[in-house]
Amino acid sequence: MACITNCKIVAHQEVAPDHRRIVLDAPDIAADARPGQFCMIEVREGSSPFLRRPMSIERIFDDGISILYKAMGEGTRMMASIPTGAYINVQGPLGNIFPIESDTVRSILVAGGIGIAPLIGLAEAIIARGARAPEVILAARTECLLLCEKELSQMGCAVTLATDDGSAGFKGFAADALRLLDPDSKTLVYTCGPNVMMRAVYDVCAAADTRCYASLEAVMACGDGVCMGCVVETNAENEFAKMARVCREGPVFDARVIRWNAFD
Amino acid sequence: MPVNLQIDLGGLTMKNPVTVASGTFGYGAEYADYFDVSQLGAVTVKSLSLEPRSGNVPPRIVETPSGMLNAIGLQNVGMETYLREKLPFLREKKCVIIANIYGSGPEAYASLASRLEAEGGADAIEANLSCPNVHDAQNARGGSLVAQHPDQVALYTQAIREATKLPVFIKLSPNVTDIVEPALAAQEAGADAVSLINTLIGMAIDSETRKPRISNIVGGLSGPAIRPVALKMVWDVSRALHIPVLGMGGIATADDAVQFLLAGARAVAIGCASFRNPDAALKVVQGIENYCQQHGISDVNELVGAVKL
Ligand SMILES: Cc1cc2nc3c(=O)[nH]c(=O)nc-3n(C[C@H](O)[C@H](O)[C@H](O)COP(=O)(O)OP(=O)(O)OC[C@H]3O[C@@H](n4cnc5c(N)ncnc54)[C@H](O)[C@@H]3O)c2cc1C
Ligand SMILES: Cc1cc2nc3c(=O)[nH]c(=O)nc-3n(C[C@H](O)[C@H](O)[C@H](O)COP(=O)(O)O)c2cc1C
Ligand code: FES
Repeated sequence: MACITNCKIVAHQEVAPDHRRIVLDAPDIAADARPGQFCMIEVREGSSPFLRRPMSIERIFDDGISILYKAMGEGTRMMASIPTGAYINVQGPLGNIFPIESDTVRSILVAGGIGIAPLIGLAEAIIARGARAPEVILAARTECLLLCEKELSQMGCAVTLATDDGSAGFKGFAADALRLLDPDSKTLVYTCGPNVMMRAVYDVCAAADTRCYASLEAVMACGDGVCMGCVVETNAENEFAKMARVCREGPVFDARVIRWNAFD
Repeated sequence: MPVNLQIDLGGLTMKNPVTVASGTFGYGAEYADYFDVSQLGAVTVKSLSLEPRSGNVPPRIVETPSGMLNAIGLQNVGMETYLREKLPFLREKKCVIIANIYGSGPEAYASLASRLEAEGGADAIEANLSCPNVHDAQNARGGSLVAQHPDQVALYTQAIREATKLPVFIKLSPNVTDIVEPALAAQEAGADAVSLINTLIGMAIDSETRKPRISNIVGGLSGPAIRPVALKMVWDVSRALHIPVLGMGGIATADDAVQFLLAGARAVAIGCASFRNPDAALKVVQGIENYCQQHGISDVNELVGAVKL
């Protein structure tokens, strides 16, 4: 059950240029949260900015959660200036979860940039289930934006790096790196990142008969299924279900139901 | 000191003068995690149409200074699913229900209203004659809304009036020269109350891509940014009409709500402020009660229209 609480910031650090991790003391949220879910963060009091900001839950601890984010616009830059020890108001956990199957032979996580955030908690959960550690493709524009490589390696994940500019690892796109890992019908792929990347990842999966779950983003107002603002187009027949709410039916979708060409 | 918060909104008894604005509270159950929604004077549900609607293509919303633009396009589950899947929760909680309806002509509104009455699906009807995000909103004038034409307002109101004995509220648009005209038309055609305001038509462009921020090009502006406009329209309409006004537009706190009551609203609705704080409406109820206590007011009705000029 989602709740709204003032959470103490127990740590807040830069992890890469413009990228930060915030650790929150949030036992109520942690008690209910599962990998794939997100929170709505009130950046500050007052009506500017007017809306909360959606942020994936990166890791779930006994007494709190962490969030990994990119300071890009007004709200996230304000967030970046909140000091450790201060309190922020957080609503969560919200949204659905990554399906984890205990008999999965092989799983591959494909992250583009900050898209790694929800996949860290997923990797932990897969390992905690006793399944084989997932393989991870970390893709970014350039080397310094490859996040969490060390954490993933320490968990026992085989990490493939991919950069657009070739400054580290494979030079090229995440989907090409995925193809080289040769996924098959027994592989489960989870992906989060820019829509163009996830779409290419899905194409590789579809060709290899691999199941693929994608964690999507959309501009949100309520984060809670109320405003109907955050929809994505689906292949559903049912009139109402043609538009699925990222905050309620998602953020995690079976990639087959998404009308990827709607993002063109 | 006990304070009477109960009000009568055009024949609808509400235990306090606070409801939520259609489209900003789902069907009630969505926010039940956060508080007991039956504590509100009424729950107003998302606009219902006869058939389910998928709404506009995304992106549908964008944040603006102290508010937001939306062009949802009335995505909703449709009447039958509402009655089957959404209504039981509201009834079980003993919520007072204001069912907001939307249709493509007077007949559609009439059949929505009579079906809701027959199925016990509403305690009052609020007819949305003012959604800026349907029809041909893309013609950059925001399309033509029923609520922009007093003669049309009269026609639609009459049709709904004849179809039901439930209290009928007509929801008006601020996108007019003088909102008193459609309000008077609604009153003369038999409306029990008027609801105002719906959103103000607006626009936002991404200067990098040169594209509108929402796919519908134009959308409806809501939030604190519109509050002064809404307050002034409530004041205008409540002085000109003898039926009560349900005031809304940018209300986020009890102080905002009290301003609307003083301007002449009999009751208020909390809109997109709930997105930020789902329990905003409940806080407003509590805040109004505190205000009354602090100011020695024993009946909230004393505040209605009591602005000192
Ligand atoms: C379910 C979900 C999970 C997310 N998880 C993370 C995460 O873990 N780490 C992270 O860095 N970012 C995440 N995002 C994206 C993050 O919400 C946006 O980057 C952030 O809202 C931008 O706010 P801003 O004020 O800095 O930017 P501005 O550009 O000033 O924002 C203006 C408006 O656009 C919205 N917006 C802008 N970019 C996005 C976007 N990419 N997605 C959604 N809304 C956007 C904002 O919410 C705001 O309403 C997530 C988004 C969603 C929907
Ligand atoms: C996302 C969103 C959806 C809305 N949907 C409806 C609707 O379905 N029917 C309706 O009559 N008004 C709808 N409205 C308008 C509100 O009910 C209200 O009139 C308006 O938002 C002004 O109030 P506010 O500033 O407090 O939000 C919607 C508003 C928003 C923000
Ligand atoms: S953000 Fe409001 S429905 Fe998803």
